[in-house]
Amino acid sequence: MLFAPADLTEQELELQREVRAFLAKELPRGTFTPGLGMAAPRDPTFSAKLAHRGWLGMALPTRYGGHDRTAVDRFVVTEELLRWGAPVGHHWVADRQTGPVINRFGTEEQKQRFLPAICRGELSFAIGMSEPEAGSDLAAVRTHAARVNGGWLVNGTKLWTSRAHESDWFVVLCRTGDDSGDRHGELSQLIVDLRSDGLTINAISSLSGHREFNEVVLEDVFVADELVLGEIGGGWAQNTSELAHERGGPERWLSTYLLLEELMRSRSELFDAERAQLMLGSAVARWWAIRRLSLSVARMIDSGEAPAVQSALVKEMGTRFEQDVLACVQELVALEPVRDEDSPFERLLFEAVLSASSFTIRGGTNEILRSVASKGLGVL
Amino acid sequence: MSDWLLIDGVRRLLGDTCTFEVVQAAEAEGWSPSVWDAVAGAGFASLSELPLADALAVVTVAGEHAAPVPLAEAVLAAWLLDEPVSGPVSVAPAGELRLEGGRLSGTAVRVPWGHAVARIVAVVDGQAVVVPVASAARFARGTNLAGEPRDALVFDCAEPEDTRPAACDLRERGALTRAALMAGALTAMARLTVAYARERRQFGRPIASFQAVQQHLVAIAQEASLVGVAAEGAARVPGSFEIAAAKVVASRAALTATRAAHQVHGAIGMTQEYRLHHFSRRLWAWRNEYGDEQHWAARLGSTVAAAGADNLYPAVTGGSAVI
Repeated sequence: MLFAPADLTEQELELQREVRAFLAKELPRGTFTPGLGMAAPRDPTFSAKLAHRGWLGMALPTRYGGHDRTAVDRFVVTEELLRWGAPVGHHWVADRQTGPVINRFGTEEQKQRFLPAICRGELSFAIGMSEPEAGSDLAAVRTHAARVNGGWLVNGTKLWTSRAHESDWFVVLCRTGDDSGDRHGELSQLIVDLRSDGLTINAISSLSGHREFNEVVLEDVFVADELVLGEIGGGWAQNTSELAHERGGPERWLSTYLLLEELMRSRSELFDAERAQLMLGSAVARWWAIRRLSLSVARMIDSGEAPAVQSALVKEMGTRFEQDVLACVQELVALEPVRDEDSPFERLLFEAVLSASSFTIRGGTNEILRSVASKGLGVL
Repeated sequence: MSDWLLIDGVRRLLGDTCTFEVVQAAEAEGWSPSVWDAVAGAGFASLSELPLADALAVVTVAGEHAAPVPLAEAVLAAWLLDEPVSGPVSVAPAGELRLEGGRLSGTAVRVPWGHAVARIVAVVDGQAVVVPVASAARFARGTNLAGEPRDALVFDCAEPEDTRPAACDLRERGALTRAALMAGALTAMARLTVAYARERRQFGRPIASFQAVQQHLVAIAQEASLVGVAAEGAARVPGSFEIAAAKVVASRAALTATRAAHQVHGAIGMTQEYRLHHFSRRLWAWRNEYGDEQHWAARLGSTVAAAGADNLYPAVTGGSAVI
């Protein structure tokens, strides 16, 4: 069996109750603009409140400001934040992947420097993987770091760097070898200050008109030796480990959840019809089942396994389901959404229609995920 | 926690006895004495004494081997009576039956292996009624899409062996057994299809090396995994929510996964000579038995809608503990 059965313990259910009570009190409906899952707005004040509750860097060690808790605890907190549409943008990447990766591969000095600030919700990170010529094929990155006295001189261009303009740092996957032809062996990760000299951030408007994407150009950016993450030449393995944190979590099947909840809230009479009930029941059944798969992935991480295949299966299925939910909602409601509507439902529908195509692309396209999964299934 | 020793024992036993030839022959003959004797001899026929989750794990193994015996019915009968049942027994899923002066009249339809079992359990006005098959005035043999016996039995003032209030909801628990069977059949179908794709060569290489084929294999694994955790979740907490949700995803998967599995197999999958049909036909049949996807989705949806928007996510996480 690929996925072991998983349920929440009484302690984990207690955490779920705490998070629900916190959100109802700190972020009552109608007092904020909810977002679609992890695309929700950034709000450093809200991130600080979560940190105060001990809900950032949960699985990081206490000696670095973390809470020595589990991946499942983080799952419980995260799913509640996402389904609420809470503004998670500021801490999202740091909490989900950069913190764990620094904790796993970083030096003692790096851990002391970055982890406590991540756990306080102060530092925000972006992701420095994609490039113009390296999308799904990440090993094709061309950004190059050349050895200089005391560090590295980095040149290249990173692309699709979400929130680079609002973040403090990003982890850059780059080539540190001499072009020996070893596609994987000459890759390394550097922790780069987004305010470095020689670094330019150019906005790329997304089709929804939001400033979200960026192009980050690095021209002779100096990165000191103490900011090399892990091993020089170990970047590929580290990056793969980082991707495992990016996949299989609740953000891969909850992006359109709130759309349906807000439809129920604003037009409850629709659900008197059997057609709507059927669609609702179908969606709820699938959420319930996919959530069980996703929870099983978190349990595997806690037991020290590396569920790369399972994560890929969940992300591929979950993101398609997110798009299915939107399609069902659009079939139920004959409405062309317009921007800046007062109704939370219509606003979310507007956002969802314009952003849903990205669900099956970001964090690894579904086609690549299927290849990853089929290798793990012993297909070849 | 399930009793893995027991389940492994059943898996070995059914793996040894439910060979391709035996399952094939059972369809022609309507019964497999060799499988039933092996199961009864090993004591697994008293599945009824097992805790619910263990009994369902055994049912899943039966689905994995397309076992041509009414194991699911034995489990279901025991739940209805809240007591173990000995000997081959089946359950009437539907029909027009009435009790008059304690005697049973009317027709029970689509009874699994109705002609071959000793007695059946029918639910009439909330009463679980046990009647010997020999007391039926007449019966008509039929089959489902998979060729499994689904017989009609007509009773005319038959004397029940036992009548007592049904201890559970027939339709829900029936759907629960079907979800468990389907989880097993999907697991077997996923395994069979990967093995076939690795073996079958075209254009000088295994067809599993084609990305288009790999995508089908991944889709089958996803659906099998989804139904696996859903059936397992409903076995742990057999509430109305969980059972409905499990049958919804299982019945949906029966369409999508079998379509992909047949596509990978090509023409050989469309024959009686090759094992795929033991699973695909059962999945197509079981997806309708005890309510299809639409039935359970509408029922689940009406409960969820009535609970309102604020309870939507609590329902997704808490299921029948919440609604």
